Amino acid sequence: MKTLSRCLIRLRNFVTGRHGDQRLREELEDYVAREAEANIQAGMSEEEARRQARLKLGSLEAIREQYHAEEGLPLLEYLAQDIRFSLRQMRRSLGFTFVVVLTMALGIAATTTMFTVVYSTLLRSLPYPQSERIVAIHDTRITGRSAGGLMTGPRFYDIEARNRSLSSLALFYFDESTLIAGKKLPIYVKGAGANVGFWDVFATAPMLGRVFNAKDDVPHAPQTLVLSYPGWQRLFGGDPNIIGEQVKLDQQTATIVGVMPRGFSAPGGVDLWHAAQFTPNNWGNDRGDGLRDIIVFGRLRSGVTRAQAQSDLDRIGEQLRREYPSSDGAWRFTSETLREDRYGNVQPALVALLIASALLLMIACINVANLLLSRATTRQREVALRRALGASGRRVAFQFCVESVLLALAGGGTGILLAFVLTRIAATSLPGILGQPGTIHMDGIVIGVALLVSVATGIVFGVIPVLETQKVQLHSALKQGETRLGGSSGNWLRSVLVGVQVGLSLVLLVGASLLAESLWNLMKQPLGFEPEHLLTVRVLLPWDTTPEAVANFYNDVQQRIENLPGVEAAGQISAPPVTDFHVRGSFNADWLPQVANQPAVSAEIRNIAGNLLVAIGTPLLTGRAFTAADQVSTVPPVLVNDALVREFMPQGNPIGHHLLLDGQAHEIVGVVADVRGISGAIAAEPGPVVYWPASTNGGWHRYFMVRTKVPEQLANSIREQVYQADPRQSVGKIETMDQLLSDAVAQPRLNAAVVASIAGIALLLACVGVYGVVSYFAAQRSQEIGVRLALGATRGDITRLFVRRAMIPAAIGLATGTMVSLVVNRLLRSQLYGVQPDDLRLYLASLLALLAPLVVAILRPAIRAGEAEPMEALRTE
Amino acid sequence: MKAKKDVQPGTLALMVLKTLDVMGELHGYGIARRIEQISGDILFVNQGTLYPVLLRLEQEGAIASEWGPSENNRRARFYKLTRAGRKLLETEKHDWEQKAAIIARFFEVKAEDLA
Repeated sequence: MKTLSRCLIRLRNFVTGRHGDQRLREELEDYVAREAEANIQAGMSEEEARRQARLKLGSLEAIREQYHAEEGLPLLEYLAQDIRFSLRQMRRSLGFTFVVVLTMALGIAATTTMFTVVYSTLLRSLPYPQSERIVAIHDTRITGRSAGGLMTGPRFYDIEARNRSLSSLALFYFDESTLIAGKKLPIYVKGAGANVGFWDVFATAPMLGRVFNAKDDVPHAPQTLVLSYPGWQRLFGGDPNIIGEQVKLDQQTATIVGVMPRGFSAPGGVDLWHAAQFTPNNWGNDRGDGLRDIIVFGRLRSGVTRAQAQSDLDRIGEQLRREYPSSDGAWRFTSETLREDRYGNVQPALVALLIASALLLMIACINVANLLLSRATTRQREVALRRALGASGRRVAFQFCVESVLLALAGGGTGILLAFVLTRIAATSLPGILGQPGTIHMDGIVIGVALLVSVATGIVFGVIPVLETQKVQLHSALKQGETRLGGSSGNWLRSVLVGVQVGLSLVLLVGASLLAESLWNLMKQPLGFEPEHLLTVRVLLPWDTTPEAVANFYNDVQQRIENLPGVEAAGQISAPPVTDFHVRGSFNADWLPQVANQPAVSAEIRNIAGNLLVAIGTPLLTGRAFTAADQVSTVPPVLVNDALVREFMPQGNPIGHHLLLDGQAHEIVGVVADVRGISGAIAAEPGPVVYWPASTNGGWHRYFMVRTKVPEQLANSIREQVYQADPRQSVGKIETMDQLLSDAVAQPRLNAAVVASIAGIALLLACVGVYGVVSYFAAQRSQEIGVRLALGATRGDITRLFVRRAMIPAAIGLATGTMVSLVVNRLLRSQLYGVQPDDLRLYLASLLALLAPLVVAILRPAIRAGEAEPMEALRTE
Repeated sequence: MKAKKDVQPGTLALMVLKTLDVMGELHGYGIARRIEQISGDILFVNQGTLYPVLLRLEQEGAIASEWGPSENNRRARFYKLTRAGRKLLETEKHDWEQKAAIIARFFEVKAEDLA
């Protein structure tokens, strides 16, 4: 009670600004008068008596402060007072404030942006109920190349029937279709065919209407469509009355039953979901190779752990290997969390980028600390004066802390604003899964963390100058022009800071050069085709089109495209390089021993037609290309790539040999050069590929590859020609191969660009920091320079003195930085291509890149120090 | 001049209360001198600490103050104990005695007492 009422009184005093100044003054006057009276009685002169009385009273300011402390809310008052004072200080030295705020802002912006990305992907819970219970189930080849974890239908239904650990099981596959709404033109849409379990696994309610149910997901049931939010916007302009609308999807009637909310992206980038309408028994024996396109997720039963689910899957996988050795023998099931599935492959890059930005923040903070330190030294007299007037050491320290925190907050606030802009840009322009709408966004937690980090750095690096002020010797600091020779306190600290800064910069430079080298290797490697002036045109017929109709349609379009002006060559392929497409086949070969259930050759399969090899610029190494006759042959010949020959027939000529499939012998008529990005990513070594004549294989989807110098003009004519060939048919994306390639190296390019810009800023900051420290040393010792010069030291001696002073910590920093680089840059290993993390060349290059500006930053002030006029230097103080 | 001790923090309030209890109304200077006198000139009362304590006690309602005429025709602020202050003094006194008794027992303790 008592405390409370006192608090209230204090609060009232604080708010009303009521001060007992008057009362205290009267009390003190009374005191002095009485004390003087007593002194006079003791025999002093009147003047002496008053003087002694005042001496006994002590510092008036200190008493007043103590009195105020009792009267109001001292901490708040100090704070308000210090903030006012600090703001005045900041206004008075605008340049200093600007540099500090800018430096801090750069560090905070970089770190906050990266943290936003990391938090959005690796930390924040994914937008599904109990998302931690969702597992991705992959089908993985026990040895050798897998098909991106994709599964075949029968194996999915075996898991569904036999598992004991999953409450629901989702399958979906990507497909592309033509959608015709009312009288509108056909539109190419990306969709996902999903089973009913899909909605149980992801457990998200639709924004409008409903999702499809078990009755919709049986063969021959009326087609139902659920739109994604972007699809709803793109196709129907966000029409709220869309539910119940009937559209044509691949020439079949389908009803729109629901629209999903904006954030629902399982998977991202699709316009709609439709019921897959699969049953366990419409797959035949298509268990092992062939087209793999099913993506599988499961939701764990309550109480079941990931490990238990994995051993359950292992059990099923083992059973299937025994039951179907020829098809399932080479496969097993693996699982990972939804988060790992989504962001697992970008995680190392993101963590590396976050570390890089944190290093930049550290370098920025060191610069700020250096600046504050130098300023604290120049403000020693001010501190001494305040101490002499009765300010306690703690009070001065508090005030310096307030200044540092204010500066940090200003820097942090600017940095967060900058990060906000950067995040907005990043959210839409990041490559791949990171750039999906709704993935990357800032929220209160991120901003809170960023503010906390800025205040923390403000306090930590604000303490350094405070420590400096604690050492102030009142009498010497007050004397104007205290002559100093030799070193001063705080210099070792500056040296350490220089070393750390240089070392960190080296770490960043090495990282940047490793990533840049990887990118360079990735881009300059021979691709096996010529991506310039190459247009890719996605066309796809409904999957149930008859083979004759498929052949007729594509032949027609091929003719029409070849007749367009500006077309140099045109061909067809089932999937061009760097698209995520997996069809694998297993063959026996007439030159290899045949073992039952163990086909000798496993290869990626592509169907080609038209003048493909010429169009994409892939050389035919030996033999011949497909002829028109091959395209209608009942036992078509095949082309193989160089990798297949190297792997399976290192000696000898494959032409005239045969690949055996289903009892038929397909003659190898030619060998083509390896094309990167067909079997696996562009960074992977090309694996074996077999090319088939497209028309003989029944493939209903194609890319037309068109070599032309005028891609922009051609795109529209091609759309027109396809429309004329079949008005019910849409054309998908038309992109240049350069665009596809640039998307394929987007992540490595982003890594390199971000780390390189961070390293660049770090280098700049480090040089500015070192320059500042050396200049400071020189200024601090200007008299000493004068004395030394007067005593006969040469200018070279002086310059050497300062170079040595700065180079020793810099060299130690470089050595430590090299060590740290060797450890830290190992984190980049998964992001590197064609370069080792300890590549000596790049270390030397980074050292040089760092040393060149560093030496300038050291030499300039050092030489200037040597050029000082001795008389002037001696007279300065 | 012998070195005088500053008053231990926390005890000054108690001394002020007791001094006012004994002396009735008194001004600040007087309180300081009396405390020094009562302590046998061992203690030195710093005005810088005395005035904040007086202010606090007044805010707590333990003492009241008013301007009044003092000797030599000077005016001064006179402090006096309130009823609440008297009660506070009693509890404080009780607390202090208890504390002192406890400490005293510790000083007198011998090994055999604890056997």
